[in-house]
Amino acid sequence: MNDTGIDNYNRAFALSFAISSLLSALLVVLKEQNADTLLAWMKAATGHHWITHGILVVAVFVLLGWLLAQTTLGTRLTGSGLSAVISGSLVVSGLIIAGYFI
Amino acid sequence: MQSELILLAHPSFGVLAILAALWVFTEAINNSDTSRGRLRTMSLVSAGLMWLSYLVGGYWYVVYYAADKALINAGPWPFAHGFFMEVKEHIFFSLLLLSTYLPIAVFSLTSGKLALKPVVLWVSAWIVVLGLAMEGAGAVISMGAKMALLATQSMGTTP
Repeated sequence: MNDTGIDNYNRAFALSFAISSLLSALLVVLKEQNADTLLAWMKAATGHHWITHGILVVAVFVLLGWLLAQTTLGTRLTGSGLSAVISGSLVVSGLIIAGYFI
Repeated sequence: MQSELILLAHPSFGVLAILAALWVFTEAINNSDTSRGRLRTMSLVSAGLMWLSYLVGGYWYVVYYAADKALINAGPWPFAHGFFMEVKEHIFFSLLLLSTYLPIAVFSLTSGKLALKPVVLWVSAWIVVLGLAMEGAGAVISMGAKMALLATQSMGTTP
């Protein structure tokens, strides 16, 4: 635990959530814009692009959380800071997805 | 029949997950010794139910939704798929990850890491807000299918 009172895995998985959520939103735009390549590959990989998307998002969340726990990234973030990162990521990724389909 | 039961189970698991997250939010405000067990249990219940909602809803979406999608797109409410379903199916991933993270934060909070209290409050509150948004989007999608069926019926093309 560092001096902000946040333990290593909480910091790591909170940041991992924020990054994974944004990457997921960007993947939505990328796959929709590249129907013949990326979307086609995602369909072929599991039979449905949404299944592939889900597997990728969960895998990135777990892997990135574990990797970030080995680093010192964000160790100065307080509980309020982490909450702001989580909320900011949610709002931005939500706006990217909703903005794309509107 | 199986399709309808699955379709009902998806929002049911979802709303129960929302209620469990709301329970976590209210317990976390006090975060006393007596609430520790309930906080841990309800965070796990919320995450478990959200995963069930995802798996059941995902199965239905992959196996059965294509027919509904064609119906909605041909009906008077094509935005029920074009906007609401597209947004719902993709924002759900963020909700799923958030629900998965909730027990991680709660178990640390209840182990004495009090700095995590705002994180637990924000995460559980977001699960409630996003979960309700998913329920609302589901209702619009359902209405889109209903409107399409009514339009077909009014033209006399259903049996």
